[in-house]
Amino acid sequence: MRWIPRKTELIAVAACVALGCHEPPASPLAAAGGTTAVRGGELHLASFADIKSLDPAVASDTLTGEAIELIYAGLVDFDDQGHVVPDLAERFERSDDGTVYRFFLREGIRFHDGSLVTAHDAKRSIERALNPDTPNSFASFYDRIVGFDDYTQRHAEHLEGVIVEGERVLAVHLREVDASFLAAFAMQVLRPVCPSAGDRYDDTWAPCGAGPFKLDTWDRGRSIRVVRFDQWWQPGKPYLDALTYTYSMNQVTQRFKLEQGDMDIDRELSLSDIFRYQNDARWTPLGAYDEIPSINGEEMNVEMPPFDNVEIRRAVATAIDRLQLQKLKTPSLVPLYRTLVPILGGDDPAFPAQRYDYDAALEHMKRAGYPYDPKTGQGGWPKVITYPTYKQGLNEYTAQVLQQQLAKIGIRIEIKVVSYPTYLMMTKTRGAVALAPVGWQQDFPDPSDFFEPIFATSAINDEDSNNGSFYSNPKLDELLVRGRKELDPLVRKKLYDEADAIICDEAPWAMEYQYRYYGIHQPYVRGIRWNAVWPNYVRDVWLDKPHAIASTNRHVPNVLASIWKVLQ
Amino acid sequence: MIRILDARARRRFWKNRGARVGVWLVVVLVVFAAVGPLLAQHDPYVSDFTTGATSLGEPVGPSSMYWLGTDRVFRDVFVRLAYGARLSLVIAISATVISTVIGAGVGLVAGFYEGSEGARVPYASIALASVALVATIAGRGRVGGVLLVLAFVVAVTAWFLPRRIRLLDGPRLDADTGLMRLVDIGLSFPFLLLVMALAAAFDRTTVSTILWTLGLTSWLGTARVVRAKTLSVRNLDFVGAARALGQPVYRILVSHVLPNVAGPVIVLSTAQVASMIVAESVLSYLGVGIAPPTPTWGHMLYEGQDSYVSAPWMLVVPAFAILLSVLGFNLLGEGLRDALDPKED
Repeated sequence: MRWIPRKTELIAVAACVALGCHEPPASPLAAAGGTTAVRGGELHLASFADIKSLDPAVASDTLTGEAIELIYAGLVDFDDQGHVVPDLAERFERSDDGTVYRFFLREGIRFHDGSLVTAHDAKRSIERALNPDTPNSFASFYDRIVGFDDYTQRHAEHLEGVIVEGERVLAVHLREVDASFLAAFAMQVLRPVCPSAGDRYDDTWAPCGAGPFKLDTWDRGRSIRVVRFDQWWQPGKPYLDALTYTYSMNQVTQRFKLEQGDMDIDRELSLSDIFRYQNDARWTPLGAYDEIPSINGEEMNVEMPPFDNVEIRRAVATAIDRLQLQKLKTPSLVPLYRTLVPILGGDDPAFPAQRYDYDAALEHMKRAGYPYDPKTGQGGWPKVITYPTYKQGLNEYTAQVLQQQLAKIGIRIEIKVVSYPTYLMMTKTRGAVALAPVGWQQDFPDPSDFFEPIFATSAINDEDSNNGSFYSNPKLDELLVRGRKELDPLVRKKLYDEADAIICDEAPWAMEYQYRYYGIHQPYVRGIRWNAVWPNYVRDVWLDKPHAIASTNRHVPNVLASIWKVLQ
Repeated sequence: MIRILDARARRRFWKNRGARVGVWLVVVLVVFAAVGPLLAQHDPYVSDFTTGATSLGEPVGPSSMYWLGTDRVFRDVFVRLAYGARLSLVIAISATVISTVIGAGVGLVAGFYEGSEGARVPYASIALASVALVATIAGRGRVGGVLLVLAFVVAVTAWFLPRRIRLLDGPRLDADTGLMRLVDIGLSFPFLLLVMALAAAFDRTTVSTILWTLGLTSWLGTARVVRAKTLSVRNLDFVGAARALGQPVYRILVSHVLPNVAGPVIVLSTAQVASMIVAESVLSYLGVGIAPPTPTWGHMLYEGQDSYVSAPWMLVVPAFAILLSVLGFNLLGEGLRDALDPKED
């Protein structure tokens, strides 16, 4: 018999599809209600992206960093507030003149292969990471170590400034004071690797470290699984038996899996899903924003017209209405008016920051020699500027708003959607692009990391240039050098404020927003902490799952479920 | 269009309910594309951050101010849909015209010359063309292009040189075999993959690059159908009479053969408009089509997919627009096919 839908049913289905069947999210799964941490269980995480390597010496992206944090431990690490704290080292000390750091390793700590972690391993791992044959994009952070140039230019067999003073004592000598050294040393690239790694980087090496988890399987392009390392130096930790990280999983699938209990933490929520969880009282306590500093804005190439004219750059910086941009993803975007984010000291309301001022923007255009009349639409920069952006990102939308905002001061841009590698190539090559969206996420929580890699003259290269605006200012360079050497926090803050004022005024970047991620987790995921440096920090996580929890919450996705109900 | 239908075919066409629905859908689409932007109260390129967004930064839903709500950048979905309709129609119809002209031309020539003696293709040209193909596959497109030109020059030169030179000798190739093997090769590539690869190769994608890309890659099917029809028409008495009277080939093809193969071509073209609408939407959806902020249905679909729970209109509206347009042209095409099919009587 043919099923013939009644008119009301058809209308209901159509309305359901058209209105999206605004069902709330599925109920969070129940927790057992335990109060003390217990061992056991497997945690499931996922990301839309993928990782290329599990070797700390070459890890440079955030996602790889999450996996590195599980498998490897450093002599020092960052705590939740971003302060450097001992990890494999039980303590560390700095000499009075600030040029020697000594790290005292814990007794009896072991690698995943069972061998003891010694100062020799730490030195070998440092030399392996800084070897000129290792594709380590952070090597220059350690150029203050004595003998760095000789070692990286192959004039020396070993790094002279890294000295083993005993089986458990490692000293690092700097050629001059470097206030950011300790933070740079806590980065993942220098983490000790098992003796099987040898003293040269080899991409076929099986990952092995001294972290709280050891690698069980790596299904390239799909997932990694790590299991607890029972000889981890912290007794009783980690609590989890295992953790599986699935890659290349899109946002929508992640959200469904979270609600079904097949995934435990979701940090890659779409805008609509963020609203969905934030507006649901059952989920609200289970979500939080991370505070990992990042800055985003527009990069203006000072070597290319029209941005070789500082007044044009100032016009752009004052024409951008950051509150409008924020509306594109209100929960995740925090308007940004200067380089230093508040958590790193950029919290002075009286600071001469870049602020939206339409009249001032028109005045800057006039001073630049390209006056624009908004009433007639006449004037402004006469040529169309190509603006590259890439798909699958917020930039796609900010580009369209920027296009409208700049058109109001007579700067016309044409959006060009390119692949992400092409975008990177264009924005890092000299003379390739005049204006582009740009972002910078900290390598380590220190003001120097927000200036030197992106605004210093030394960061300019013809290709693969981190300083994509190609901005060079001797006065700024001098301030940055002084800031890096200064150990007094107050004097240091003043120096970086001064540097930031130059950036805001000369505007090689027009600052726009700081991005923060919203993460949500099932209630049985306990002990979760939002770290100021590492996303998805799960070293202290434990699972408070009742027995046989699985499958109680499985449901058909919302829209389909609603249609099904109507049809029934 | 209807003039190619005789009275009985017209009757069959209008009796077909599907065909009538198709005509109506197409008419509605054309009227919407023509009049929609005039009815719109907003600029399709301008965001409204005050009334187009909620206080939380979400797009607003359908209302008297925004009939179909606003999009991710707080622009009027209705007006963007209407502009998108114009673009879709312009691209789809223009690409279909290009494809039909090329396909019909190739099909007519191939069908008319089928079985002819053909011209000799020197071994040297074949060798050069083979190397050109290998070079192109290896990423040396410029070298491949030069070698291909060289192969052509050698082939033309060989006409004027004695055949005693072994390298200038070679097998005979008639127009039908040459063109149809080219069609076979073209059809062996998945259409959308080919179009995406070509569209991605352009430095800038504009309306004209997209319509030319679609037009130049979609004529293969038409060429095959026209060739088959030409094969039967060329042997009819009136074509023989025209030949006997000494009419030039181009005149025979245009005046006598073409009118007799026009029916299937028009049916095919009508259905192809639907394919072109889908192809353009796919390109825009995947990001190799026309760059934003130009409103295209495919890109609107892409922008709406992440917000289907909180702002479902962003996804549903362009999806239905694509669905109904494709349905309309397909029903129209099928109606024409049935109307032209004498077996339907």
